[in-house]
Amino acid sequence: MTKPNPVLIVEDDAEMAKEMAEILKGANCATDLCHTFEAGVEAASSGRYPVVILDRMLPDGDGADAVARLRAKGSNAMVLVVSALGRASNRIEGLEKGADDYLAKPFDPDELRARVRALLRRADSIAAENDFMVFGSLQIRLKARNVHVGQTHVPLSPREFDLLVFFARNHGELVTRMQLLENVWNLHFDPQTNVVDVHVSRLRGKLDRACARPVLHTARGEGYIFDPMRPIASESE
Amino acid sequence: MRQSASLRLTLMIAAAILVVSVIGLSVQYVLVKRDLEARQLALVNADLAGFEALYDQRRVIAVRQAIEYRLPAGEDGALLLALEDRGGTTLAGNARPWPDGLEKPTEGKSIAATRFTYEDRTYLGVARSLPGGFPLLVARATGGVEKMLARLRVIIAAVVGGASILALALGHVFSRWVMRRIERMNQLADRVASGDLSARLTGARTTDEFGLLESHFHTMLDRIEALNRATHHLSDNIAHELRSPLTRIESGLTRLEDQGSNVDELRARIRNTVRIFDSLLEIASAEAASGSGTGLRPLDLAQIACEVYELYEPVAEDKGISFACDAPLGAAILGDRNLVAQLISNLVDNALKFTPTGENVRLEVIQDKDRHTLKIADTGPGLPSEASRDIFERFARFRGDKQVAGHGLGLALVKAIAVRHGARLRIVPGQKGFCIECFWPNVEDTG
Repeated sequence: MTKPNPVLIVEDDAEMAKEMAEILKGANCATDLCHTFEAGVEAASSGRYPVVILDRMLPDGDGADAVARLRAKGSNAMVLVVSALGRASNRIEGLEKGADDYLAKPFDPDELRARVRALLRRADSIAAENDFMVFGSLQIRLKARNVHVGQTHVPLSPREFDLLVFFARNHGELVTRMQLLENVWNLHFDPQTNVVDVHVSRLRGKLDRACARPVLHTARGEGYIFDPMRPIASESE
Repeated sequence: MRQSASLRLTLMIAAAILVVSVIGLSVQYVLVKRDLEARQLALVNADLAGFEALYDQRRVIAVRQAIEYRLPAGEDGALLLALEDRGGTTLAGNARPWPDGLEKPTEGKSIAATRFTYEDRTYLGVARSLPGGFPLLVARATGGVEKMLARLRVIIAAVVGGASILALALGHVFSRWVMRRIERMNQLADRVASGDLSARLTGARTTDEFGLLESHFHTMLDRIEALNRATHHLSDNIAHELRSPLTRIESGLTRLEDQGSNVDELRARIRNTVRIFDSLLEIASAEAASGSGTGLRPLDLAQIACEVYELYEPVAEDKGISFACDAPLGAAILGDRNLVAQLISNLVDNALKFTPTGENVRLEVIQDKDRHTLKIADTGPGLPSEASRDIFERFARFRGDKQVAGHGLGLALVKAIAVRHGARLRIVPGQKGFCIECFWPNVEDTG
């Protein structure tokens, strides 16, 4: 087990905060807690936390407004806003105020874990973004926007390519449907039909066929995990 | 404060009436005064000319006789005459000695009209030296004119006094009338503010501006009342619609305790419940924001339509529906991208949901000079005609049946978003299947 990642939770509801801390323990995170806006901004700007979780309706301020304060103080921590203000317009408002991600309450524990992990990964890799991503025999070239398995080109539609890139950046992690809608389609509402599933299953069909093994896995209920290396035993032939 | 408004109005009206009447009377007074003085001067000059003519014909004796004749005892000094000889001896007349206020003319000279005091009375007089050195004086007391003017002043003062009383009374009555009309409205507003939304003004309504104001008041109250009723209705609906899924979740949890049932299904139900909340809140916020342009940005309606098409295209293909999109780029509108996408997405979602395999769904954006038309048509079973009126109501469910998933908020949200953007919705009648058009204002010219 690697060293746990420090995550700061700014939440005035003690029970909620405890629950979040419990959930994040499962994602190898060591959480610290602040109950007020001011204390939260103070702690977050220390630079110790790569990821900060902010509630919006704090007794002394709106967590979404903290982002600008943090950036002004030179902090480049990833900010996840977690709030009961869950309408699309609330989300967009939060993201426009500079939050890196936005999660509405009530949320699924897996979803919180997935989003915090994605942010931790982004915090790690923000400088090391490569043009070339390799997962075993699967190669993705970002600038050229093409995908190869070994020497074989895999034809993908532009949207399928964007989907794959988002999965690849979060490889090995749970990616939820809402995350895909927000990041790949830039849509902040939940369509009645599970349109995302259809797109993912097409991409999955193409990748699985090309790699001759499962690449995209369905995670219980909530979303997908991109993990081309998972069936290692069958690859080593 | 209200009392002082009435008082102010009263005083203003009274002052206006007063100022006009005082100016009118003053002008008249000045004119009368001038006229009277001119007449008196003419009279004096005429007398002098008469004596002079008499002297020319009949000499001093006749003039003396004429003077004595003109001064009967009854005249009471209103007429002042004097004729003297070269040495200063009075030959005739009642002015003895010659008055100090009027210069005695030397031979061949005249003295123009002069006002002077003699024995405590004021006179207007002229003098002339008759040929041979006889100074002649003719003067008349101005007392008559003064008395007349004084009487006129008294009359003017009385009229002004009466007018002020009348003006105050009139102003008071008028302001009372205006204030009573306003007071009616104030009382109505107070009643409404204290919670009685059904309060209305009774009695006949005048056709003037006050009547119009009352009508506007009533229209406004009717609208508020209707909205309020709708809100109550809505909350009943919400309570009902949310209670049932929550009950199901509860029973599911009970089963979970027993034997460990399908957690994902419960999770999906909770998510659906939250989605209903979100839709209702989204509708409410779109309705609250309608009419204001804040938060709207220039967008390309066709581009968003294409994105939604691209999102749903695989769904249609999987279901075996022929789904086509005809939206040439460049349809400029002002909008909230996410809301516009949700509107199109809801309409497309509905069309795909209710259209059976083998049929068609078509998404179009038609650009026009002053408006852009978003059109979604399917060749599905359509809609019973009596349903088209209520279709945009919250929790309305018609075509298809309850087997098709949905919470009945999709079209209500579509309508709220359309209203928010100043767009108009129309269900196209007489088509096979269901066809809906949405007209968006073209904002290309305004940039």
